[in-house]
Amino acid sequence: MGRSRAGSPRELLASCCRGGADIACFAASDGKLLSSDVTHYVIPDWKVVQDYLEILEFPELKGIIFMQTACQAVQHQRGRRQYNKLRNLLKDARHDCILFANEFQQCCYLPRERGESTEKWQTRSIYNAAVWYYHHCQDRMPIVMVTEDEEAIQQYGSETEGVFVISFKSRRERENESQESHGKEYPEHLPLEVLEAGIKSGRYIQGILNVNKHRAQMEAFVRLQGASSKDSDLVSDILIHGMKARNRSIHGDVVVVELLPKNEWKGRTTALCENDSDDKAWGESPTEPMPTGRVVGILQKNWRDYVVTFPSKEEVQSQGKNAQKILVTPWDYRIPKIRISTQQAEALQDFRVVVRIDSWESTSVYPNGHFVRVLGRIRDLEGEIATILVENSISVVPFSEAQMCEMPVNTPENPWKVSPEEERERKDLRRSHLVFSIDPKGCEDVDDTLSVRTLHNGNLELGVHIADVTHFVAPNSYIDIEARTRATTYYLADRRYDMLPSILSADLCSLLGGVDRYAVSIMWELDKTSYEIKKVWYGRTIIRSAYKLFYEAAQELLDGNLSIIDDIPEFRDLDEKSRQAKLEELVWAIGKLTDIARHVRAKRDGCGALELEGVEVRVQLDEKKNIHDLIPKQPLEVHETVAECMILANHWVAKKIWESFPHQVLLRQHPPPHQEFFSELRECAKAKGFFIDTRSNKTLADSLDNANDPNDPVVNRLLRSMATQAMSNALYFSTGACKEEEFHHYGLALDKYTHFTSPIRRYSDIVVHRLLMAAISKENKMEIKGNLFSNKDLEELCRHINNRNRAAQHSQKQSTELFQCMYFKDKDPDTEERCVSDGVIYSIRTNGVLVFIPRFGIKGAAYLKNKDGLVISCGSDSRSEWKPGSLQRFQNKITSTTTDGESVTFHLFDHVTVRISVQASRCHSDTIRLEIISNKPYKIPNTELFHQSPPLLKSELVKEVTKSVEEAQLAQEVKVDIIQEEYQEYCQTKGRSLYTLLEEIKDLALLDVSNSYGI
Amino acid sequence: MAGLELLSDQGYRVDGRRAGELRKIQARMGVFAQADGSAYIEQGNTKALAVVYGPHEIRGSRARALPDRALVNCQYSSATFSTGERKRRPHGDRKSCEMGLQLRQTFEAAILTQLHPRSQIDIYVQVLQADGGTYAACVNAATLAVLDAGIPMRDFVCACSAGFVDGTALADLSHVEEAAGGPQLALALLPASGQIALLEMDARLHEDHLEQVLEAAAQAAQDVHILLDRVVRQHIWPSPDYPLLQSGPWGCFSPNIPRVSWHRQGWYAPHFMLRTPQLQ
Repeated sequence: MGRSRAGSPRELLASCCRGGADIACFAASDGKLLSSDVTHYVIPDWKVVQDYLEILEFPELKGIIFMQTACQAVQHQRGRRQYNKLRNLLKDARHDCILFANEFQQCCYLPRERGESTEKWQTRSIYNAAVWYYHHCQDRMPIVMVTEDEEAIQQYGSETEGVFVISFKSRRERENESQESHGKEYPEHLPLEVLEAGIKSGRYIQGILNVNKHRAQMEAFVRLQGASSKDSDLVSDILIHGMKARNRSIHGDVVVVELLPKNEWKGRTTALCENDSDDKAWGESPTEPMPTGRVVGILQKNWRDYVVTFPSKEEVQSQGKNAQKILVTPWDYRIPKIRISTQQAEALQDFRVVVRIDSWESTSVYPNGHFVRVLGRIRDLEGEIATILVENSISVVPFSEAQMCEMPVNTPENPWKVSPEEERERKDLRRSHLVFSIDPKGCEDVDDTLSVRTLHNGNLELGVHIADVTHFVAPNSYIDIEARTRATTYYLADRRYDMLPSILSADLCSLLGGVDRYAVSIMWELDKTSYEIKKVWYGRTIIRSAYKLFYEAAQELLDGNLSIIDDIPEFRDLDEKSRQAKLEELVWAIGKLTDIARHVRAKRDGCGALELEGVEVRVQLDEKKNIHDLIPKQPLEVHETVAECMILANHWVAKKIWESFPHQVLLRQHPPPHQEFFSELRECAKAKGFFIDTRSNKTLADSLDNANDPNDPVVNRLLRSMATQAMSNALYFSTGACKEEEFHHYGLALDKYTHFTSPIRRYSDIVVHRLLMAAISKENKMEIKGNLFSNKDLEELCRHINNRNRAAQHSQKQSTELFQCMYFKDKDPDTEERCVSDGVIYSIRTNGVLVFIPRFGIKGAAYLKNKDGLVISCGSDSRSEWKPGSLQRFQNKITSTTTDGESVTFHLFDHVTVRISVQASRCHSDTIRLEIISNKPYKIPNTELFHQSPPLLKSELVKEVTKSVEEAQLAQEVKVDIIQEEYQEYCQTKGRSLYTLLEEIKDLALLDVSNSYGI
Repeated sequence: MAGLELLSDQGYRVDGRRAGELRKIQARMGVFAQADGSAYIEQGNTKALAVVYGPHEIRGSRARALPDRALVNCQYSSATFSTGERKRRPHGDRKSCEMGLQLRQTFEAAILTQLHPRSQIDIYVQVLQADGGTYAACVNAATLAVLDAGIPMRDFVCACSAGFVDGTALADLSHVEEAAGGPQLALALLPASGQIALLEMDARLHEDHLEQVLEAAAQAAQDVHILLDRVVRQHIWPSPDYPLLQSGPWGCFSPNIPRVSWHRQGWYAPHFMLRTPQLQ
């Protein structure tokens, strides 16, 4: 290969002309530029790049030049995964590193000499390029080449002035732990060629390993993936039974499995069980055998950072003499224990710690890993939240200075103004339209506003105006890259992590009342009577929202209750006459909107749109940005009106961009569910005498509406949530990757749908905004500004966004559970009144039931048979006791019979009284435990009181927990205050006692050790 | 080893070219005295030799003679040592027949055959080293040979291949890039008019991308034309305008097109020109 033709690497040129800010801007969009304010540039040797890439990934390391030779060494010897990591590092604009194509440069290329080993040649090439680069920078910037090769240090160390060759501080040699056990624990993986051939021939099956969270030691399933599933007659997942058959694969890996002969097939377990404690005890009644296999190879390892806990002192002792190698337990049940070499085990005992897995030899029972960093103390709120974030791979560092520099300024001295250029290009709606927003109370990021008016010809004009985020966020700017990485705003139970800096999300992009804002608008012309859509207009606008209403107020206005106007600040300073006129105008607009929305909704209902339980939870924030409330949408009609307008806007935008760019737009699909998943729902409904028809979304919607028990509203709620669970999630996708039939959105019953209306908190909407702008330019025969994503890139992006959305959901759920546990933790379940509550049975298992507690929104398992094999029985006073006996499970009920003949039966949807307690766990998250204490519904002493105190909202729970945490902190601070007062009194110098100082240093030392360990 | 990266994130191909860049082209006309016309061309490591006889009377069966125009007879062969695998390729195997036919189609479109009714023009092309783009090299060599023979043509026929990787069109594919199995397009162009003499496409390519690939191939063919035009001028009037031509064993040409950037930087190390492929 004539590999040595010189190119003209842009990075080269760019790094020549250091300093100019304008050049930096240019480079940001077109290539990367090394910063000039570093003391030297680092050039890692090929071996260093191969082995210590994760160190080079640290953002603190700046000015790294990767040589092409080194990158190729990684590609050839370390495989695709490692190489992709390197590529992503180079692509990431936030990292100060570049690639220099030294082998394509005339002066840097060195042919390999006769008899020279590849390794030597690579080192020589890199050194040669380093020298050239040094001269290229006019000898002004020292270059440091980092190598592990002692010979190279001796040979080149003093050859050129200004180019230093040094080695990494000799790191502790990694012990080869696999030596300790001689026998092989696992069969070897097959070579890649054999796997690929096997998959093609149909002998092996490829899929993603999914470990059962509740039976992590025994059960894992392989979800079929790709072509293999089409050819084979397998419909279900493949069971992988036991660690041996799993053969060193970890949850999430892409594995290749071989099916076992049919006589070795096993069934899955349906009994409830506590996490992996003792598997034999419950494994009595598995279902009928399902395809079972064993892993023969791993195609792609999906290792990430894991949060682990070190064993407590007692456990360490029981682990044996070899105290330097310690088995740590991951927070995620699905991950096996990891072996770590460390001297710090004792110091790290009470902390949650991040580790990475390095290898898993076939001779070792457990994988080997290394320590990365400390997150926080176990059971400490911040530590546990950090755990949840790491486990979901969410990284939310504060926005960097470079990112903030791109933001527009809006201060009292220098207020942001509408620029005259924009004023010329945009349609000005400030005077012509009555624009208003309806949001939850206290909402900061208002990204949607509405307007409606009558046109001259009598037709109506409905407008939806969305914040123009893309005006402020240029494609591929630092802030854009950061937003893309985050993909969404993360809402945890007590806090949120914004996708965009608050200057945008809460100020300039937020369509607040009474200020000029840029917007992207869609306006429909509707027929005056039939509300048929006649015309539609898309474009950029300037608006000034007249009212920032909240839902309750809008609903009151709609109902004709005008007393609410005192709560609307916009009306406060008006005289009576103009107030009346303005109020009439607003009430007319809201009424008209509702009318239109009803009409549109009816049309969609005709096609079978579903209304499902608990789809969206809105977060309400108070002035201090604390979460004020997590409100499950109260069923007001105004909610529906606003939602309908948004759905309409999303739908029309989806249509528009798809027409303009059929193969490369981002849409949202909701695939129709598999009928077999509905069987449980149908069974449950039958138990209550309802029939659920799941053949189409329309029949499902109708029958769900009918399945309403007048005595028990929870039944309908549960049925709806079961229906939701049976369906797959809606996903983003690129239109080039799917057939047009698959675009359909099942839940909303629309043929095309996308997300357009919340660009402040979702990156997908930003992409759609850019697409819409491009579509408009295309229509006007103007040049399309900025590059659109190609289908391939968009597919990649969709995968990323879907993945992040899932992470956001998980983290929200996990943080809610965390708060629930903290809420119940300090309460004594036997005495505290609120630990006893009413629950509804919604599923039956062989040894227990699943219970839903409406008051707290908790779902959990309650055992009818405890660990000692005793079963529950309820005497005449319906108090439960544990007695020897047996359980019998039927379709819709479960009967527990004691040896002395008493029996008690639990039916589906029975109300029972449960006691809530917390099961503490050191290594994992705490869990809520439910215990049935009576088979009668829980009666609250005073029924009236029950009506007054509606179900405890999550928010109250969150508030209470946060308060107690704050109190604990406050107590500490008070102590400090007292000390300070004493200092003043006795004229002491500021500062604490030597003891506290030393304690602090000790803490620091721990962190230091952890840091250097990470390196 | 992970799969070969045909186009790096920085926009380099495996041999260090940019997407639209050609390999180095060197050519010489009139390499054989006994033939009516002959030419030799190197496109990177692909080397081809073309010889033209004619127009002359029909050889063999007279029945083949065409009453209104000349018969163009093309034969393609490749040397046993031309590829990594040393293999005898007898005349008349499928691949060379097909290539012969393609060449014939190409040149029937370019040569003014109606000027020589009932006669025959023979074009023999031999590939000495195949490193991708053999068809293009054959066409370019044959064009020069036909010109050398003084046979009237409408225009040059300039050919170039193009491929498509990761949403980018690559011009002038090398063997490594061809072997990766992506879509591949061969284009022969009459550069003055922009008419297409032959267009061939292997593998599947989405309709949306075709235009992009076609454009890359056409632009590359235009670049080839500039180079070939200089070869011809140099052959006819050796002039001091192109001082480089006197220096090397073959002609070296430096068209002032920015796309061919190694020329602009002006280095012509013969060492690299003659390096044999390591990967085949």
